[in-house]
Amino acid sequence: MIPISHILALGLTLFGIGLVGVLSRKNLVVILMSTELMLNGVNVILAGYGHHMKSPNGAIFALFIIMVAVSEAAVGFALMLSYFRQKATYNLDEINDLKG
Amino acid sequence: MNLIVFWFFGAVAVVSAIIVVTHRNPMHSVLYLSFSVLAVSGVFFSLQADFLGAIQIIVYAGGIVVLYTFVIIIINLNELQREKRRFVPRLFLVLIPVVLMAEVAYALYRNTASVAGGAEEGITMEELAHRLMSSYVVPFEIASVLLLAVLVGSIIIARKRVIDDSN
Repeated sequence: MIPISHILALGLTLFGIGLVGVLSRKNLVVILMSTELMLNGVNVILAGYGHHMKSPNGAIFALFIIMVAVSEAAVGFALMLSYFRQKATYNLDEINDLKG
Repeated sequence: MNLIVFWFFGAVAVVSAIIVVTHRNPMHSVLYLSFSVLAVSGVFFSLQADFLGAIQIIVYAGGIVVLYTFVIIIINLNELQREKRRFVPRLFLVLIPVVLMAEVAYALYRNTASVAGGAEEGITMEELAHRLMSSYVVPFEIASVLLLAVLVGSIIIARKRVIDDSN
């Protein structure tokens, strides 16, 4: 039996690395990849709690999170491609069209 | 034994995740992302979430990573640029990992939950399927509608506005 604190530690570490990537990188593609890392960390914690409580609910929630992650990646890339056709940039510092 | 497998895959996932965030070439980041995702599926297997691990391999390593690769090829991310930033964002860069790692160390230090070890086999897939089709049938159907909407919407967003018809 894996102690719950180890599972929490691994999940939080993955989530933290993804959060650092989202906050610190300026490349749009790498930021989307970092959100995938964050979702992976959350999935590890959910699967671990489901394993501990002997309940399938954790795996089911993680399954729905994977579905939402796929949707988010697809729509995000579509938006990024559409933006890139118009402005030809993917640097977050140059994307300031909505700046007042 | 299970703990060793868990931490082996966990260490691989963490190290490749760090490389994903820190590497300057996005293509290498995608390859390390696939590595990290496969290692996380190994973690799921060690947590006896077999179905979740299989779905992780199929959807993430087979779908999302390929999508990332194609997008990087399409928008041609070849010139690498230096990422410079001012003092306050750099402070965040130091502060957030330190705070999160302190949290992790605290969780490991307070190793309280010594759950009475029950049966070693986890949840069966049959139970999961029954639950998914009885209690969670409404979110399941909503998810299918969501995927259809994503399919249509991403095609409409990403297409070219002008279709040059040669006829």
